[in-house]
Amino acid sequence: MNRLDYFVLIATILAIPLYGLWRTRGSASLGQYLKGDASIRWATIGLSVLATQAGPITFLSMPGQAYESGIGFIQNYFGQPLALIVVCAVFVPIYQRLKVYTAYQYLGERFDRKTQLLGAFLFLIQRGIAAGITIYAPAIILSALLGWRLNLTIWLAGGLVIIYTVIGGTKIVSITQRYQMIVILVGMAIAFAVAVYRLSPDLSFENTLSVAGKMGKLEAVNFSVDPHKRYTFWSGLIGGFFLALSYFGADQSQVQRYIAGGSLKESRLGLLFNAVVKVPMQFFILLLGAIVFMFYQFEKPPVYFNQPAYQRALENGYAPQLTQLQTQFDDVFAQKRVAIRALSTASSGERDAAMDLVRKLDAEAHVLRDQTKAVLVQAGVDPKSKESDYVFITFILQQMPHGIVGLLIAVILCATMSAMAATLNALGSTTAIDFYRPLIRPNASDHHYVIAAQALTAAWGLIAIGVASFASLVENLIEAGNILGSVFYGSILGLFLTAFFIRRVNGSAVFFAALIAQMLVFVLFATTNIGYLWYNFIGCAAVLILAPILQQTLFRSAEASAGV
Amino acid sequence: MNAQNDNADTGSWRKAYTMALSIFAVEVVLLYLFTVRFS
Repeated sequence: MNRLDYFVLIATILAIPLYGLWRTRGSASLGQYLKGDASIRWATIGLSVLATQAGPITFLSMPGQAYESGIGFIQNYFGQPLALIVVCAVFVPIYQRLKVYTAYQYLGERFDRKTQLLGAFLFLIQRGIAAGITIYAPAIILSALLGWRLNLTIWLAGGLVIIYTVIGGTKIVSITQRYQMIVILVGMAIAFAVAVYRLSPDLSFENTLSVAGKMGKLEAVNFSVDPHKRYTFWSGLIGGFFLALSYFGADQSQVQRYIAGGSLKESRLGLLFNAVVKVPMQFFILLLGAIVFMFYQFEKPPVYFNQPAYQRALENGYAPQLTQLQTQFDDVFAQKRVAIRALSTASSGERDAAMDLVRKLDAEAHVLRDQTKAVLVQAGVDPKSKESDYVFITFILQQMPHGIVGLLIAVILCATMSAMAATLNALGSTTAIDFYRPLIRPNASDHHYVIAAQALTAAWGLIAIGVASFASLVENLIEAGNILGSVFYGSILGLFLTAFFIRRVNGSAVFFAALIAQMLVFVLFATTNIGYLWYNFIGCAAVLILAPILQQTLFRSAEASAGV
Repeated sequence: MNAQNDNADTGSWRKAYTMALSIFAVEVVLLYLFTVRFS
């Protein structure tokens, strides 16, 4: 990165929060602080919802995921449009009618205090950890590749988010997310165009895609019913539906985005915008990863993308093994490049044999990369991080023109800041409204609760920075976020669906049903290897089945004595 | 009047949901055709 890159980066990440602070200057009531004001329109809500979900993982890890495993991950989003329609039709009208600040207040009104606290507690645990991952994940990669100090990166980015989120509340989160998301979309569109432009002129774009497809990178839809296969149409549609329903309907970091603003209509339009654009957006981000993969079929990639770890292994006395692997890798790469060129000019009769050769050489390159990884593990460097997370950022740093590099690093930091701001805003609001107000200071003034929400938002920010400062990198950034969500979301969603659709169940029955369901998901997570998206379905189904059973057995007398 | 407005409102939202679902269905079909063409 040169001075131009740093100028673009710093100007972008500072200008948006400063503009947001100017737009939200002046004091706010509790309602304005937690829900924004009536001026927030559907476009802002839509971009805000999109930014909250995306986070840095989408833009940093997802192209690497496609580089490594193809674009099948897109199927995880197939349940989302259906879920968003259910949220529009069922959840949003209830939240708007009851004028709640948090989703869990509804559980308190429908059931009782302990169920409200359980829903809020499950959310706080899950999101509190996720906030740490949100900031740690990009910080570790950017600091490793750009030579920034890790803790300084975490504190600078996290500190800026804490300051503007604490001061401006929900409205500043929505405004900044709108502009951050515009920067992100423009940046990714430029990255896509540059990546396509940088592809080898030896192949047409269509031939490039054909070769990528033959190498297993472009299978977007797979109708397999094998439950152990991670990405299929069915797991995406069913598991993804329950994940998205829980995430959009019952996760305060999203609920707070769309109950902001004036009306039911603006909230619904913002969500429907997401129902329509999410799948195409994710497709282009994944396709960008597949294009980067094809770029590296003609331009020699590093044998291992996590170059800082590779360099440490070289310095730690593993140079002989690594140099030998590098030489073999270079040889395989050169043969593969020739084979791919031959494939593009092969007649239809020769094509299968040419394709088999390309696949064979690609498999050999994979083996050499795995062997390199094994040497790095042996050397005691980078034992856990997933190499694919370094693919896209390496491509940016090595192949993009100056100025664009700064913009794309800003994209990653904007995505980090927007997701973290929404999370801190929700964590602070939930702690203030669901715990502090009813349990500690029930009858204080609005101003007191605004101060409390600000203090709690700052406290959650410091906790997230603390988690990030002491965390060690989990295996894969995308998976970590989704697995964490899937483990908790099923039972939270079960609470809400029971509230909406099973009228005869009371608070105690659903409370214990959710506790048992959560235990069940923990046991399955620890003892089986089923695709994680199914935990959403299992957790939710367990609550929906157990709650009526408990109501009819253990809590029947309570129901009778309460006269329900 | 309110009931009539509510019904009209419900009907227009139903149309909006149907349109969103239709767009999603087209997206999935296009992705499937993309898979068939390039895999």
